[in-house]
Amino acid sequence: MKHLMCSVGCCVLLCVLAPLAGRADGFEQRRDRVLQVAAAEQEYNLMTVLAKLKTRTDLDRAYVVLDSMAHDRAMGGMFFAYSMMGVYLHAHDVLPDTLRVKIREAFRVRTMYRGDTENHWVMYYTGLYLAAQTWPHDPGTAWFNGKSSDENLVEAAGWLNQWMHTTVTIGQGEFDSPTYMTVFLCPMLLLQEFAQDPAMKTKAGMMVDLLLADFAAEHLNGNFGGAHSRDYPDDIVNPLSAPSTMWAWFYFGQPAMEQWNEARYRPRHRGSWETVFAAASSYRIPEIIRHIATNRAQPYVHREKKRVRNVIRFSAVKNPPVYKYTFMSPRYVIGSIQGGILQPIQQHTWDVTFSSTRTHNTLFSLHPFASGKELAMFFPEEQKFLAGEVDRYHLVYTNPGKWNSSSPYEQTFQHRNDLIVLYDIADGVRHPHADGFFPKTLDERVVDPTGWIFARWDSVYVGVFPLSGAAWIEDSICWRWRSTSRRTGWVVEVRSVEEAGTFEAFQRSLRSRTPDAETFMRTGSVAFTTAGGDRMTFAVNGSRNLNGQAVTFKKYPLYDGPWMQAKVGEGVIRLTDGIRTRVLDFTTGEVRER
Amino acid sequence: MRILTFSLIAAFLAGVPAAHVAAQGPESTVYISVVATKLFVVGAANPQTGIHYQRPSADTVWQHTGAVNIRAFGVAVHPGSGQKVLYIASGNGLHKSTDGGATWRITTGWSITEVQSVSPDPFDPDRVYIGTPYGVYRTTDGCRTWQEASAGLSSRFISQVTASPIVKGQVYCATESGTYISIDGASTWARMGLSVGGVRTLVQHPRDPKVFAAGTEDHGLYMSTDGGAVWTRREAGIDHLTFYAIAFDPTAPDTMYAAGYVTGVYRSVDGGTSWKRMNEGLSVLSFKCLAVDPRDSRRVYAGAYWGGVCVTRDRGEHWRSVGPPDSQVWSISIQP
Repeated sequence: MKHLMCSVGCCVLLCVLAPLAGRADGFEQRRDRVLQVAAAEQEYNLMTVLAKLKTRTDLDRAYVVLDSMAHDRAMGGMFFAYSMMGVYLHAHDVLPDTLRVKIREAFRVRTMYRGDTENHWVMYYTGLYLAAQTWPHDPGTAWFNGKSSDENLVEAAGWLNQWMHTTVTIGQGEFDSPTYMTVFLCPMLLLQEFAQDPAMKTKAGMMVDLLLADFAAEHLNGNFGGAHSRDYPDDIVNPLSAPSTMWAWFYFGQPAMEQWNEARYRPRHRGSWETVFAAASSYRIPEIIRHIATNRAQPYVHREKKRVRNVIRFSAVKNPPVYKYTFMSPRYVIGSIQGGILQPIQQHTWDVTFSSTRTHNTLFSLHPFASGKELAMFFPEEQKFLAGEVDRYHLVYTNPGKWNSSSPYEQTFQHRNDLIVLYDIADGVRHPHADGFFPKTLDERVVDPTGWIFARWDSVYVGVFPLSGAAWIEDSICWRWRSTSRRTGWVVEVRSVEEAGTFEAFQRSLRSRTPDAETFMRTGSVAFTTAGGDRMTFAVNGSRNLNGQAVTFKKYPLYDGPWMQAKVGEGVIRLTDGIRTRVLDFTTGEVRER
Repeated sequence: MRILTFSLIAAFLAGVPAAHVAAQGPESTVYISVVATKLFVVGAANPQTGIHYQRPSADTVWQHTGAVNIRAFGVAVHPGSGQKVLYIASGNGLHKSTDGGATWRITTGWSITEVQSVSPDPFDPDRVYIGTPYGVYRTTDGCRTWQEASAGLSSRFISQVTASPIVKGQVYCATESGTYISIDGASTWARMGLSVGGVRTLVQHPRDPKVFAAGTEDHGLYMSTDGGAVWTRREAGIDHLTFYAIAFDPTAPDTMYAAGYVTGVYRSVDGGTSWKRMNEGLSVLSFKCLAVDPRDSRRVYAGAYWGGVCVTRDRGEHWRSVGPPDSQVWSISIQP
């Protein structure tokens, strides 16, 4: 233990020399490991403080830091509210009375800003709920918002129940985010642990099941595959650096590494210390979900319906639907959402992700759209200032080379392991080009005379057929494909050695099925025959056609695939792995297992 | 500037609850809502934002009241309350104080959020209107309960809602799809004749209820002299298209001020017929709000996007920045 308290540097050295704890051991070992490493961490935040308190490590220092955080009036808001309550409740038995009083006082004098995103509200109302039940019967004068304990509890429960209902009937808004999944999981873990109302406690536990199952169905060896509502550029180009990898390691046991110790997977958020809340929790992932996350014996299609966050202007629909399609195979994932503006700022519309231990194991394209009007669809501030304001937080919003973006000029059509993505960019758009990410860590990247670009990553082959000319730009980590044609797109096919044979055979097959780019440029429509013989046609006007039949989204399910099934509006999610069934029935608040 | 910074920090560290502002005195009280500063990050440790106030003689020194870091879009004082009843329109909802800012309560629940503007009814101490991205809401019982009051509005995005200070029961609002008026306390709304969208502000002449002025996003500045049926775009002297704020001089209403996106401040002395930019001394050019001191109408305040407050003491001939620095100031309420 002593060496763990030294520094992260010591941890790195030790882990290079020693077998990785998560590889051979099970969940309990990983859980202990998280607490130990976080307890030894010198970076102070509420999670590392909790780890110190739970492991009785460096308690005096933990008390000092917690005292400081409880006093710091500049800290506040939703992150503070839920995580401070998490520390208070998990470590209540070791907190001195003086600290308990100070934490209680923080909820009187500290502003708890509710925020303006779904994850903000989940954190805010979870924190408020737990605080209100912890200190019941207090009058409004004892609370930052002037409301009594009872009022706060009713309001928090009301919103949390409404959020759960919305999520299980029409889908989550900030769905499948490799970063923000953390701030849905942690609040729900705290509620399932500490909610005194049995119904809330049960439903919160069911939400943890659902969030993890939702991730599991699109998980491949530590990667959160496919499209994401919100993702950061560093994680998009290097998927295993995302916090989701830490959650995969923690709950699924994959990949066999400790993220904070491996530079190649270094998380942006340093340690992803929020897993401390999971390590401190009594929640145990049902075996069926772990099995869903790790059984990749057979390829499959997984579909989900999600929703756009509240659109407050420039649309007649408050929460337009999102149609998500993911093809999972043992060696790769290709997944997409239909395109368009489905989330501001951080949308990741489609990608191929390779199962690999190498960095930058992905390939995708995008149109780097940026517009104050887009932001004004979702935020009430003045649209002429919004882009600059968002740039202050997210740094890259107006950057023409950014790797995350929604765009009204991008659309996709996916059928199993084939995808067509089209761009039809209007005149006057700020960045009128499309970019493609080809990582330098690819084993091969060949530009064929037919126009196909053939790429190989280990035993996975990717064929990309650009529908317009483009230039190659060398970046530090990738070859950037850039088309300045207003009308462009890609036809993409991904196959593994098991599906296609040799790389040469894969190339021969695609050469015989080369799309007609000239017709596309002239008509805006492209046709492609997949390796399986299916005929896909797709046009810039959005019409999708498979084997002569129009493809619509009218009957898209909330979940559909071998592991998860649910109808829109029903509130009942069925998990199955062929051995077991687990039904999350939110209409009755029950879990049924078979 | 040093005095201002010291003042804010000292108040902040001391955790001083809002000191309360005496209701009457030789000077007006200026309230401003600061949405954010350039250092603001959601959920982080942030510089103090929210409601600040001062007496004009305090110059660059501002006091703070109420919650901090709540995306305070609007501030208002209930007329006739002796500055005891204050409101903050914020991301957290509608805050109310009944003791001049010493204590506050959020009066709305989870179903009301991102409140953009608040307007207490000058004829009814229990009636208040708020504008949100989801519609207009109204309370008739002193903020104990709220009801949606959007019947007849084709856009729910409300930039500004205002209870008429001169016509009882009249309420008007600027929305994403135009301007609307109600004559029954927001029970029903009727569209006014302005056909452009993206209306950011709508103000009424302080004496003539038929005269309105509207500022729009990208469509310019409009006025109506027949109660909102017919609107004309005012172009004489105007080189800009986006106006977020318009203010009448309450003592001499032919004098008007208008400002918006990189406009600086425009002034008209002929009832809005012609305009002139009055930018001497301005260090920023984009403004979100304007207010004329009713006690001394030579004194005009302009709330800047990222530039704090600029003040003139000579009807716009010369301007000076008085802080808070680097602040987005979204509303100003001056109480005589």
